[in-house]
Amino acid sequence: MTAALFLVLLFGAVPISIVLAMTAMSYISQSGNAVLFDSFAQQMFAGTENYGLLAIPLFMLTGELMNEGGMTKRLVNAARVLVGGFRGGLVWINLLANMFMAAIIGSAVSQIAVMSRAMVPAMEREGYDRGFAAATTAAGGLLAPVIPPSMLFVIYGVLAQIPIGDMFLAGILPGLLMAGSFFVVVTLIGLAAEFPKGDWMSAPDALRAILAALPAALIPVAIIGGIVLGIATPTESAAVASLIAFLLGWLVYGELKPSHLSALFLRTAQNASLVIFMVAAANVFGWVVIYEAIPQKLAALITSLTSDPFVFLLIVMGALLLVGMLIDGIAALILVTPILLPIATGDYGISPFQFGVVISINLALGLLTPPVGVGLYIAASMSDVKPTAILAALWPFLIAVLLVLLAVCYFPSLSLILLD
Amino acid sequence: MRGRVLHRISHAWARAEMCVAAVLAAAITCLVLLNVVTRAMSASIFWVDEAAIYAMTWMTFLAASAAVHFSHSVSVTLLTDMLPRPALDIARRVVDAIVLIFALLMLWLCWRWFLPLDLARAGFDSVAFQGETFNFIYAEPTLTLGIRKFWLWLIMPLFAAGLTLHAVSNLVRPRSETAAP
Repeated sequence: MTAALFLVLLFGAVPISIVLAMTAMSYISQSGNAVLFDSFAQQMFAGTENYGLLAIPLFMLTGELMNEGGMTKRLVNAARVLVGGFRGGLVWINLLANMFMAAIIGSAVSQIAVMSRAMVPAMEREGYDRGFAAATTAAGGLLAPVIPPSMLFVIYGVLAQIPIGDMFLAGILPGLLMAGSFFVVVTLIGLAAEFPKGDWMSAPDALRAILAALPAALIPVAIIGGIVLGIATPTESAAVASLIAFLLGWLVYGELKPSHLSALFLRTAQNASLVIFMVAAANVFGWVVIYEAIPQKLAALITSLTSDPFVFLLIVMGALLLVGMLIDGIAALILVTPILLPIATGDYGISPFQFGVVISINLALGLLTPPVGVGLYIAASMSDVKPTAILAALWPFLIAVLLVLLAVCYFPSLSLILLD
Repeated sequence: MRGRVLHRISHAWARAEMCVAAVLAAAITCLVLLNVVTRAMSASIFWVDEAAIYAMTWMTFLAASAAVHFSHSVSVTLLTDMLPRPALDIARRVVDAIVLIFALLMLWLCWRWFLPLDLARAGFDSVAFQGETFNFIYAEPTLTLGIRKFWLWLIMPLFAAGLTLHAVSNLVRPRSETAAP
């Protein structure tokens, strides 16, 4: 009954956070644990009392400030100095720009929506096929889950109660592997279909572009450096980055004014609360998961099928691909982590770090997987091409990520070696 | 007609909620920065972390209530998007009704938690209240902020009330306005 209600509400387009909370209410009333109702609201409130979650509004604010303050634009421009003259140079720039945006925004869906409008016309002007341009925009989002400040890792760290900085360390090698596999894919596509060649900038232009972007480069350096070197928590790195972004946008680039801040804080509050409210609702939903012993029941089922951690991860991958097709990354992560993580760590001895990397990449992949991947359709509608045209250019990227994902499942050391 | 007045009230309340949420977002940023600076000077202020977390909690529930008014929530629209127009209108109404049910349930849950009538009956004496109800809501302290925690928990009834207002307003608005989010 509870499961049926959950599915009906979820597919009936009821907001996901309300689906989670109402499922929990229905479960409590049926199971006769009415005493839980007395602390229901308190439990929701408690779901948000977490220091790690503070990183979410701060990273979102940084992303907003970088876009509004002209920093994203200048970083993209500087990247053109380095690779703009190569065949396919703009492909790389698009992949990198999207990777950072997706990592900061935390939602592949909004990354695709925002960046399609900016990058697809630019690539088309240089002579790329529009379907291919839209495909690279979407593919950049595939790298995002493992790049600091990945919102998925922050939330996974909170849910799994493991240090978020270590989570980022675990993602470095898989991230490099994915970037490497994309390099191979882009090179192969470039060999098959002649990419348009951009122009190298003249030396003075190039110098100007690099100088203009130097201050903006402080932001990724501050975020990644702060977290990886352990100087600051991800939350503090995010706050420092947002301050740098504001000062640069205001004093150096002159594109931001303090009067713009109110609109930015408004958008930040709105977007961050969507995510954090979902975490709050997941906290009461957790009761259902725990009292029904869903992980234990599911574990009994799966352990009767296999005792091999790799096979278990393959089963999880299949299931997550399905979930990821329907639900955007963060929401899906909040739904599945409490159920699957105890099985992975308890029954199969899989490290929570490896598991986090696997499910985060997996959910990003599911979002772009046909026939129902939501990201695919958003990319299509934003850049005004058919989903099939995007898929025609996107599938090599999907295969590349799938192969890396299999490697991360099979070799735990890929995600764990930097942690020791 | 009544729907329009209600809609205007709901709109004004949602804007107020978002204004406060935006101020809290700014406060979070300043508090975390303050923490970085004071720690670098080895003069950490002990209550800043907790204040930042509760600013975020209030921001979240205020904006979550306003999101119902502005239709900003995340939902799986895969199936409903396939519906023809008239059926889609009905589906939206049904979702509005479900959100209202949720809002009313939240109000009821907050009532069970805060037990305002019992508190009044105990003469607003929290010790007498606890003796009667074994509910310790009014006694719980915060860790570092030096206030009772129920002041912070008050966001939950506020959230439930805002949610109810927006949900009712959504449900009674004229059909033509159910269209686009």
